[in-house]
Amino acid sequence: MRGVVVFGVLAMIALLLQTSVLPRASIGRATPDLLLIMSVYLGLHQHSVPGAIGAFALGYLQDTFSGSIAGLNAFAMCVVFALVYLTSRRLWVDNAISKIVVVFLAAMVKTAVILALIVTFTASDGWAALTVSTSMLQAVLTALMSPFIFAVLNRSLQPVEEEED
Amino acid sequence: MRPFQLAITASFDAVGGIWGKYFALVGVRQENELLRRRVLDLERQLVHLAEVEQTDQRLEQLLDFRSGLEGDAQAAVIVARDPLPWFGTVTINKGEADGIRKNMAVLAASGVVGQTIATSQHSARVLLITDHNSGIDAVVQRSRARGIVEGALDGRCVMKYLKRGEDVEVDDRIVTSGLDGIFPKGISIGTVTHVTRGNRGLMQLADVQPSVALDRVEEVLVVAAGAHMKGDALMSCAGPAERCQQGTP
Repeated sequence: MRGVVVFGVLAMIALLLQTSVLPRASIGRATPDLLLIMSVYLGLHQHSVPGAIGAFALGYLQDTFSGSIAGLNAFAMCVVFALVYLTSRRLWVDNAISKIVVVFLAAMVKTAVILALIVTFTASDGWAALTVSTSMLQAVLTALMSPFIFAVLNRSLQPVEEEED
Repeated sequence: MRPFQLAITASFDAVGGIWGKYFALVGVRQENELLRRRVLDLERQLVHLAEVEQTDQRLEQLLDFRSGLEGDAQAAVIVARDPLPWFGTVTINKGEADGIRKNMAVLAASGVVGQTIATSQHSARVLLITDHNSGIDAVVQRSRARGIVEGALDGRCVMKYLKRGEDVEVDDRIVTSGLDGIFPKGISIGTVTHVTRGNRGLMQLADVQPSVALDRVEEVLVVAAGAHMKGDALMSCAGPAERCQQGTP
């Protein structure tokens, strides 16, 4: 239970950073997606129903503070969680480089899912240009931030998990 | 006696020199630390003053703009931006408690920022004109050709539903028509950067560069429905596009 509370607090801090601090340091329109990194962390370390619920909650939290259609990010985060979970069952994803690669691919998958849904349901223009430039940059920035976020999550959650065990 | 006098005087001078040049330096070191701290403090104050000056300038521009507007308006500060790049929304620090309601126009000194789409007690969310869900009834200021300015996913604006025969050129200024009941008439939306006329079809498209630098804007004015520009304020922006400020928050 304490682990859920700690994770929730970290998610709120990540959201605050993502909405207020990181946009000031954005490159073009791209800013690192810290909640996505947390979702990838769940996919790698929480192979259970609470992990999936956590990924959904992270996406829904992002929906709440975004101008998107409610449920769009929640759905994309669940897809990312499922893919990372399936990948981690088949591939050894334990060193820093492989985690960075997984986060990069997860960011690209999330972008693809969101854009597919937007284009399907709202018939918006300009998605091709966005996919090529902003999405790629967004994925790179998110991947570069991932070692730091993973370190914070490990340091905060491992002692709690050890205590609970 | 003279050699002794010289020796004593020289040794006293030497001791005095050591005292003056070495022991007194202990105080100098402390003074140096103090002065360094003071310099840092003054530099910090300088940065703070520069920031205050810039904020003053921006607020003065906003106040000038406000004085040209007739109707209720609330100044607000942008406190957060959308966590994802493909949605253009921002959060402002004023909400229902300050009289902010859904579908109110949000403006900056140099033009339209967006409109409120959701409100809570002390904050409100603003849909920027560059968001793909945004649509504003607009006219080309020079030729009065009508269309709808919509946002695109890549952060620019496009004027759609312009009849093929209408007169639209690059550098034309696009302003609000006031017919949507949200935005006052004659507020600058942006400038035409490119016009696309296909070989077929009844319509033409115009790419529009927003007047407001939406990624840098910090203070905005939330305007109630029914507000309108005073005659003289409207005329001050009625000339060529260059007369109104471009790309400023």
